Amino acid sequence: MKHAIYYKSKEVVANTLIHIFLISVAITCLYPLLWMISSSLKTQEMIFKDISLIPHQFRLENYVLAWREGGFGRNFFNSIIYTVSVVFGIVIISSMAAYAFSRLRFAGSKFLFIIFMAAMMIPIPGSFVALYVLLNKLHLRNTPIGYILCMINVGLSTSIFLLKTFFDKMPKELEDAARIDGCSKIGIWWHVALPLAKPVLAVVIVFNALAVWNEYILALIIFDNRSYMPLQVALQSFQGEFVTNYPLLMAGLTITALPIILVYLLMQKYIIKGVTQGAVVG
Amino acid sequence: MWFKNVLVGVFVLFSALGCSETKVDSKPTISIWHWMTDRDPAFQELAKKYETLTGVKINFELYAPSDAYSQKIRAAAQGTNLPDVFGILGEKRDFASFIRAGHILDLTSYMEANNNSWKSSFFPKALAVNEFAPKNSYGINPGIFGVPIDIMTIQMVYNKKLFTQLGLNPNRPPKTLQEFLDIGAKIQAAGMQGLVSGWGEVWMIDCMANNYAFNLMGKDKVLATIKGEVPYTDPDWIKVFTIFKQMKDSGVLAQGLVTMINKSAEQLFANEKAVFAFNGSWCVNVYKGMNPGLEYAAMLPPEASDKYPMAIWGGAGSSFMVNARSKNKEEAVKFLTWLTDQDQQVYLAAATNNLPANKNSLSKIPEILAQFARGMDYATHPNVWGVSEFSLVIEAFDRGIQSIIIGEKTPEQVADEVQKIKERELAKKRAQ
Repeated sequence: MKHAIYYKSKEVVANTLIHIFLISVAITCLYPLLWMISSSLKTQEMIFKDISLIPHQFRLENYVLAWREGGFGRNFFNSIIYTVSVVFGIVIISSMAAYAFSRLRFAGSKFLFIIFMAAMMIPIPGSFVALYVLLNKLHLRNTPIGYILCMINVGLSTSIFLLKTFFDKMPKELEDAARIDGCSKIGIWWHVALPLAKPVLAVVIVFNALAVWNEYILALIIFDNRSYMPLQVALQSFQGEFVTNYPLLMAGLTITALPIILVYLLMQKYIIKGVTQGAVVG
Repeated sequence: MWFKNVLVGVFVLFSALGCSETKVDSKPTISIWHWMTDRDPAFQELAKKYETLTGVKINFELYAPSDAYSQKIRAAAQGTNLPDVFGILGEKRDFASFIRAGHILDLTSYMEANNNSWKSSFFPKALAVNEFAPKNSYGINPGIFGVPIDIMTIQMVYNKKLFTQLGLNPNRPPKTLQEFLDIGAKIQAAGMQGLVSGWGEVWMIDCMANNYAFNLMGKDKVLATIKGEVPYTDPDWIKVFTIFKQMKDSGVLAQGLVTMINKSAEQLFANEKAVFAFNGSWCVNVYKGMNPGLEYAAMLPPEASDKYPMAIWGGAGSSFMVNARSKNKEEAVKFLTWLTDQDQQVYLAAATNNLPANKNSLSKIPEILAQFARGMDYATHPNVWGVSEFSLVIEAFDRGIQSIIIGEKTPEQVADEVQKIKERELAKKRAQ
């Protein structure tokens, strides 16, 4: 009896501590988000004077102003096009490349794979000038296609690495069965490998979508025409060298965060699977 | 039959259009790249006005934030895609590298035309940032290579209301270092915060330390130190370091100053929680947004000596350069001449709360801006000294002052450490 009470109370204490820890982590993650939403409903003066999360007066017009003054309409559409195209390109190319690296034996495959992995080590800003000069020579600078190709290139290394790790552990028997049924290599990739890789693909999709959606520096460098700029560039117009229009910036950030939160919520199930059970396949 | 007639009609119409003289627009379009988010609406307004006046279209293209803008300019220079007019952010050596690469037009002849009429309209020190003197260390032919659009000075500001609460005269800020230090005791007794500034970003410490170096030993000795002719262990430099210890000991500095970023400092001062702030003239715009009712005034840092005048950092705030390869460079120069004319400068100052570069505009701008602008008489800037200190030395110097403020090191220890790094860097340079 005494032991039961001891173990019960030990469990309660442990659970309480774990919950306190998890709640504090959750608050740390959610607080900036709540502050962003709260500030998007205040005036500039109130942001600096009133630190409470619930504004005394809700200024919903900040959202209308942010949309109008930031020119969000066109930029929002651009960001959607860029995100969809880049993620689609990365999923197709990286899954094919990863499958080839994992299953096909060809001369220089290891060397090529190492080259791809080495690309992961290069900081993106370090390659901006080189990319600019290359796009300029190819007459692709200041074109959406040039930007999309660059962004696909940026996301390939990590995606190939994730997918190859998954394919390496995938049972070969499934592919043998498909081969006996008459499937070609492309057929196996499409009908067997890709459906099994759904959790990893979800991770690839969300991570790359997030990267493309939040990217603005490369866009700013290669585009001269403002009508090609993505949404994040429009956000920068609220951020001055010395003065920042916080209410409009926060309203703009809230607008831009919504689509990506939506993507995350839709794919949450697969992402958790992909991250936690990446090793369990087949 | 009707079909034939239509065909003939279409043929005649197309022939007529094809043979008609193509209307060529003789007025060029000037493309200007900039990073100044807060000034963009005013620039767009002026561009419209200029087009109405002259028929020349001006495209102001905003690329913010400034660090991304800098990368864009560098990349565009590599690809020779620079626009007609642009600005360069960074140090004078960056500016010089653009000139050496042939990207920037020498504006001296335009500035000196009509008996220096354009040149003489600017504050001389605003122009100095864009000027290369004869025999400069950058190896650039002497001349003026940029047009200042506005100016800035970095000074101190004080809260008039808190001054009254401390029993001080709100119209008489401290003139000497001793007067300033004496206020520390009153600030401590009243439980207020003293001086706030972005000293966590270190360059602002460098700025204040240089002000006092000029005040205590004069420009020549400061420059001689940079050249390696005077050591940082010289008694005058020890005095400079000691000023920060005195400030700390007197209680005139706010708590947590060494790690404070400028945005936090601005927030503290705007919310009337700090008596003094050390900040640039851009703060007028910042404080207006944070607290429009704030009562404050600008002042020079209090003098530590009357041997040499106090110096403050100042000069051109933002400047534009003309692309030497642009086919529209003549039109671009004309537009910049118009943009820096008195009326446009007054408009820009009123719309953006920045100090005008045109010295004839001062009488028409708000008093707080005029106070900052009057500081131009004392202005200097590392970009006009003609010599640059090693970045490692600057870092050791600034970090050393931070250590003095938090009581980790003595002024003498910091001077020794800075001098050692200076000697090491000089030796490296000689070996090259």
